[in-house]
Amino acid sequence: MGETFNSLMMGFSVAFQPEVLMYAFFGCIIGTLVGMMPGLGPLAGISLLLPATFGLNPIIAIVLLAGVYYGAMYGGSTTSILMRIPGEAASVMTCVDGYAMTQQGRAGPALAIAAIGSFFAGTFGVIGLMLMAPTLASFALRFGPPEYTALLLMGLFVLAYMSGGSMLKTLAMAVLGLLLGMIGIDVMSGYTRFSFDIVELGDGVGIVPVAVGLFGISEILLTAGQVDPPKVQQPTLRQLIPTKADLKLSVGPIMRGSLLGFMIGIIPGSAHIISSFVSYGIERRLSKHPERFGNGAIEGVAGPESANNAAATGAFVPMLALGIPTGPVTAVMLAAIMVHGILPGPMLIQQQPDLFWGFVASMYVGNVVLLVLNLPMVGLFVNLLRIPYAYLYPCILAFCILGCYSVSNSTMDVWIMLVMGGVGYVLRKFGYDLAPVALGLVLGPMLELSLRQSLAMSGGDYAIFVQRPIAVTMLVMGLILLGLALKPLIFKSKDWRSSVGLDKTID
Amino acid sequence: MKNIVKRSVFAVMAAVACVAVQAQETFPGRAISMVVPFPPGGVADVTGRPTAIALEKVFKQPVSISNRPGAGGAIGNAAVANAKPDGYTLLMALSSITVIPEADKLFNRKPAYTLDQLAPIALISADPVILVVHPSLPVKTLKEVIALSRKQPGELSYSTSGVYGALHMPMEMFLHAAQLKMRHVPTTGGGPALTQLLGGHVTMSAGGPAAITSHVKAGKLRPIVTWGAERHPNYKEVPTFKEQGYDIVYYIWAGLFAPVATPESVIKVLRDGVRQAVNDPEFKNQMAKVNSPINYLDAPDFAKYVDADAKRLAAVVKVVGKVGP
Amino acid sequence: MIEAKDADVQVKGGLRSDQISGVVLIAIALVVVWFNREFPVGTLADPGPGYVPLLLACTLGGIGLLVAVMGARSQSLADTAWPEATRALIIMGACVAATFALERIGYRLTTAAFLVFFLGVIERKHPLTVVMVSAGFSLASFYVIGVLLKVPLPRGPWGF
Repeated sequence: MGETFNSLMMGFSVAFQPEVLMYAFFGCIIGTLVGMMPGLGPLAGISLLLPATFGLNPIIAIVLLAGVYYGAMYGGSTTSILMRIPGEAASVMTCVDGYAMTQQGRAGPALAIAAIGSFFAGTFGVIGLMLMAPTLASFALRFGPPEYTALLLMGLFVLAYMSGGSMLKTLAMAVLGLLLGMIGIDVMSGYTRFSFDIVELGDGVGIVPVAVGLFGISEILLTAGQVDPPKVQQPTLRQLIPTKADLKLSVGPIMRGSLLGFMIGIIPGSAHIISSFVSYGIERRLSKHPERFGNGAIEGVAGPESANNAAATGAFVPMLALGIPTGPVTAVMLAAIMVHGILPGPMLIQQQPDLFWGFVASMYVGNVVLLVLNLPMVGLFVNLLRIPYAYLYPCILAFCILGCYSVSNSTMDVWIMLVMGGVGYVLRKFGYDLAPVALGLVLGPMLELSLRQSLAMSGGDYAIFVQRPIAVTMLVMGLILLGLALKPLIFKSKDWRSSVGLDKTID
Repeated sequence: MKNIVKRSVFAVMAAVACVAVQAQETFPGRAISMVVPFPPGGVADVTGRPTAIALEKVFKQPVSISNRPGAGGAIGNAAVANAKPDGYTLLMALSSITVIPEADKLFNRKPAYTLDQLAPIALISADPVILVVHPSLPVKTLKEVIALSRKQPGELSYSTSGVYGALHMPMEMFLHAAQLKMRHVPTTGGGPALTQLLGGHVTMSAGGPAAITSHVKAGKLRPIVTWGAERHPNYKEVPTFKEQGYDIVYYIWAGLFAPVATPESVIKVLRDGVRQAVNDPEFKNQMAKVNSPINYLDAPDFAKYVDADAKRLAAVVKVVGKVGP
Repeated sequence: MIEAKDADVQVKGGLRSDQISGVVLIAIALVVVWFNREFPVGTLADPGPGYVPLLLACTLGGIGLLVAVMGARSQSLADTAWPEATRALIIMGACVAATFALERIGYRLTTAAFLVFFLGVIERKHPLTVVMVSAGFSLASFYVIGVLLKVPLPRGPWGF
């Protein structure tokens, strides 16, 4: 323990040099900017800056990239809250309640809570990384395909908690999302499914264009025709700061989100995307007033934002402790380290403690810098709402097109975004909730792949799911959650027509 | 900070220059774009970036990397195959470039590109893969692996980077040569495939030396045999398949291509440029850092190399056929 | 709940919104099943590439049927107001045109034209403001995203 502390102090002494701090600031600013572009998320931000770090020393390179990473995560939530445009998959749930809060003139508290929640989650994640990285990493390795399947099934069951509308319509949307996820090359067999000879569809439909279309474009289509354009907001300073009640409501979601996100984040693979969805579902379930969710509940911002940030930090556990790239972002980070001649792997912590602890400390510095930078910037961001809507929406549209184009430099993503915008518009008119589509799309390919991988491992024997302790525990937990969700449905009939999107637009 | 400012000023100047000298005759008269058909951080990317920097010095023109990932490299490969053949669009491709058209044929897909749309310029690096097993598997030599697999037919399993992927091909070569059956667990990339093996969810996998070295040193993986034509310098104790009596060779390589209709004079400039670039000490240093062995071949030899590799892999794809039910 | 009241008033006659959406879901499911026929389905123990899509399509069809049947009391289709539909169509049209133009005439020209269309033609702002906003936005965003962040944004045939 004492040694850990000393090492950490050594790390901080490196990270607190003025030059390093300057790069951290610089990284955070670029990251926030990049994250605010719909389509350009943390991955794009890091990839874009990676070449620029080749000439820097490793610590500075990592500080810069960590700053970009955190900045981009935070920037994504900014556009979700202010304009209902999710910059990346993790901010889809933030859109729902965050934008509802903006419409009520409470964009300031939403942004502030997102920043505070992210900061707390980041701190929690760094502490977890620091104290238990090797232990957690060996635990994470025990997650094979069967465990993954169980985890994703749990994510699917959370659907039941996600929306206040008709259960049947929620399910329909989830299945639609899962089906969208079937597009593209099937990893198990090499068949290209439903791509209609379009090469770009071979990799499947990206979550970013779909989310931007479903949430952002559909919102503009619905709002543009209103007789009275949305009023320009001129919030006072008092309205920018979260109230005591806001903070009190957010404490629980932030803590739970951090823990949940971190646990999901350390699991190798891309499962960390579901952490914000799961957090939202849990908060809605635990809330005494679930009907507030979807209508501007601050818990619906606090929970998912914390979960997503903690998951992002958690993802560094297997990367640092094992040296394996578990997801796209960590793959780029690994490359950034390797370019400096450092070979990450199981021996990294023993052999190059200065680098490991420097990394941990600089990640933390990035986190602090981001909070210091962004809390005052809340006021600045909210000023975007002062722009009259007639000017705002064409610019948002142009940004969405630009952002989706730059996801992979192809117009295919822009077409997908436009189609999804139209589909989302019609679906909202018919009273369907759209978040399940996004969750389905994220889960679909992963769930199918891990299920079929498990069967390939066992030679077609389903017993593999009950023979493995972690998998069976998670399956049972998921079934209990599902049962709890279905109980009120069986005992009390629901109003089929109630839906957030519909109510708002018809009135 | 200063560095980045300098870079952006440079980029603006380059953009201005590029408009100004468009009509100029000598190649290269403006910025060159090197397409990497994979995301940043992959083998193609970490090979492409030092190459681009070294070429920049030779040509005195900016050489920028453009990542066009998608469909296992098919999208970026196709983009260059169909690009304007003026030498300003180059491709840093991996060995998968020869497999993709074969897989397209197998599934009756409209091919995104064909190999004869691309002219090889130079091979930059090549690395053999190594068969590694989980240390809990009681085998130390290839003979024992084969014996164990014969004893439990269809029980041993291996993970790969995906069906017909860079790590699937060598495994199928081996299984076909040794007449074995194993369970195949495809994943979405080299990283996930390695993770499955480290977690003990599969028993073996093929792995690139750069990816496995630290795990082998930590005792988390056991190397058995290599697909290289000769023993790997970092794995002197690991025998080759050839030594063990199986005539199979497999390298993951990275090489530079241009659209096939690029004028001969331009190709010549590019070839000379790459030859100088690979001898740049800074380039050598960068490649050593990312554990990528430089294996330079000029266009004629590289073309033969690609042909041989394409034939070999096409045969494997035919043997594998469509997998699944 | 305004719609609930409406639905009660018009119990008789007319297609319901949920009936339509349910039928559309069934149609989607059928389309998926149709396109899925070229992929081997496999067995429960060894699912092929067609297995999961088929399963999902069947589920979607079932749900669509339920939505349609249980939607008999939902809001009448005739009552669904589409006040913004014209404007939405114009917006979609402009976006489609912009996407089509993007790789043909370059990013900066496309974006400028796009904004001129919205601000000048649709919103009828002062011409000077229109020109300033359009040119400013397209050039500034190109500089930040295309030059500083090095995203290769498309240029038109005139190098612009």
